[in-house]
Amino acid sequence: MNLKISALEFIEEVKTGNITVEEFTAKTIERINQVDDKLHAFLSVNDDAIDQARNIDKKIKSGENVGACYGMPISIKDNMCIKDTKTTCASKMLENFVAPYDATVISKLKKQDAIFIGKVNMDEFAMGLTTEFSAFGPSKNPWNIEHVPGGSSGGSAVSVSSYECIASLGSDTGGSVRNPASFCSTVGYKPTYGLISRFGLISYANSIEQIGPLTRTVKDTAFMLNLIAGIDPNDNTTINNNNEDYLEGIESGIEGKKIGIITEMMGEGIDPEVLSATKEAISKLEGLGATCEEVSLDMVKYSVAAYYTITATEAGSNLARYDNLRYGYEMPVEGYEFNSYISKARKNFGPEVTRRMIIGGFVPSAGHAGKYFLKAMKVKSKLTKQINEAFKKFDLLIAPTVPILPFKIGEKIDDPVSLFLVDINTVTANLTGKPAISIPFKIVNGLPIGIQLLANSMDDKLLLQAAHALEQTVTLPEVPI
Amino acid sequence: MVTVEEIEHVSKLMKIDVDDHSEYLEKVQTIISYFDILDSAGVESEEISMPEIPIEQLRNDEYIPFDEKLIEKMNHYKGTYVRAPKM
Repeated sequence: MNLKISALEFIEEVKTGNITVEEFTAKTIERINQVDDKLHAFLSVNDDAIDQARNIDKKIKSGENVGACYGMPISIKDNMCIKDTKTTCASKMLENFVAPYDATVISKLKKQDAIFIGKVNMDEFAMGLTTEFSAFGPSKNPWNIEHVPGGSSGGSAVSVSSYECIASLGSDTGGSVRNPASFCSTVGYKPTYGLISRFGLISYANSIEQIGPLTRTVKDTAFMLNLIAGIDPNDNTTINNNNEDYLEGIESGIEGKKIGIITEMMGEGIDPEVLSATKEAISKLEGLGATCEEVSLDMVKYSVAAYYTITATEAGSNLARYDNLRYGYEMPVEGYEFNSYISKARKNFGPEVTRRMIIGGFVPSAGHAGKYFLKAMKVKSKLTKQINEAFKKFDLLIAPTVPILPFKIGEKIDDPVSLFLVDINTVTANLTGKPAISIPFKIVNGLPIGIQLLANSMDDKLLLQAAHALEQTVTLPEVPI
Repeated sequence: MVTVEEIEHVSKLMKIDVDDHSEYLEKVQTIISYFDILDSAGVESEEISMPEIPIEQLRNDEYIPFDEKLIEKMNHYKGTYVRAPKM
């Protein structure tokens, strides 16, 4: 049984009867049992997966309608609600929280007969970019387990990269899908803001975060997007995509397209190997008929500060709901005054979340809001104007997904600013609402490098076409685990 | 520069019981000092653009019954109430 197949290959194999869903699911669980002690991608595994697979096999045999996923095993970042399943957000605060409803993306995938093989690790409340801030311990990079897998959707990327599932859903607030995708050599997608419903995603920074797929191929991402994108009455920030088919025309190529190379993402602080890989990607795109030239977005240098100011502020507000009264961990209320109970209960937040809440209380407060929060919002506005201007001239923009190679676990954990700056190439897409994708491009010294492409809002289809074209120019080694 | 007193004040406002506020001082100071880069962005005259959603695009404000007794899934429920400490 070959677990190293793409989603579309899996569906074809099941449809033609070459494999059964039960066999594949059983083999996937065996794989998880085999490698996950080392990698720690999963926080929980679905005990009913085999039964669900068996039921889908029955439906196939009896000629009943089967959903488009045909029992494909998908992992889900543990900040998305699956009814009657633990949704911990990798936090002690929600260690025993069982979701009473399905997120919209989950209902959509359930209707298409996906199997949720398990919930995967992340930085606590998605605040981090290495998974080192998970309250349940870090995930490890399957390319070298001494290195971080990226984050915050680290478990998603690890599970796809190491064949513990076929695809995964992560969430991307400042690069949290694309960064681990780059570090683990998978495709990672952040759609146009509003393209995918956030209903049932535990909120971190609502104004910029999006759910996005992590897959083995760009075509698989387009397939997933077909299933989960679209307007949702439960999330009024969603936009109507008119049931766009993202797979249709994905092989159209990029001949004649104009690509802007973002100057500010190719300079200071970039690893020479990453720079060289990006130049190689640019040459390949030119070889496919695109024209590439430099474009400056000078607000990029302020983007990380703006991003962390805005997200900390939104997080401070979003996390106010965790009072441990309606849901949370076991802590009796007797003998406490109301406020002291809540403050005491909230000690269960990890140090990074606590730090961000302190910052989230400080930067928008009276006397400081003008200096920090308002300026951050102005940088966001100006950056959006600049990128909109760039898209008048260019069809796409390119930059490395992350300016450095995956680093060692613990290497940056005590240096918050150095850690924040790892996000410098990814936060722009979030602050401006643009779609962006990380494509696996190269393995250097056993560590992956991803290339990022960005497109204008609602140009997701064009972005996937370009990403597919670039993907076809590379052949990468298999993950060594 | 952020002080221990400010961290103490903010953590109280954010309702987080912190044993040793100085434990957070160095990293919070480092982060806030980094945010000072925003001063050189030259965006003083920039207008903040906010997305607007017309009210007719919002879903109807209708009661949608939940198909289960949600309260029974709560931590400290008693009858039809969630128990909370005295105010």
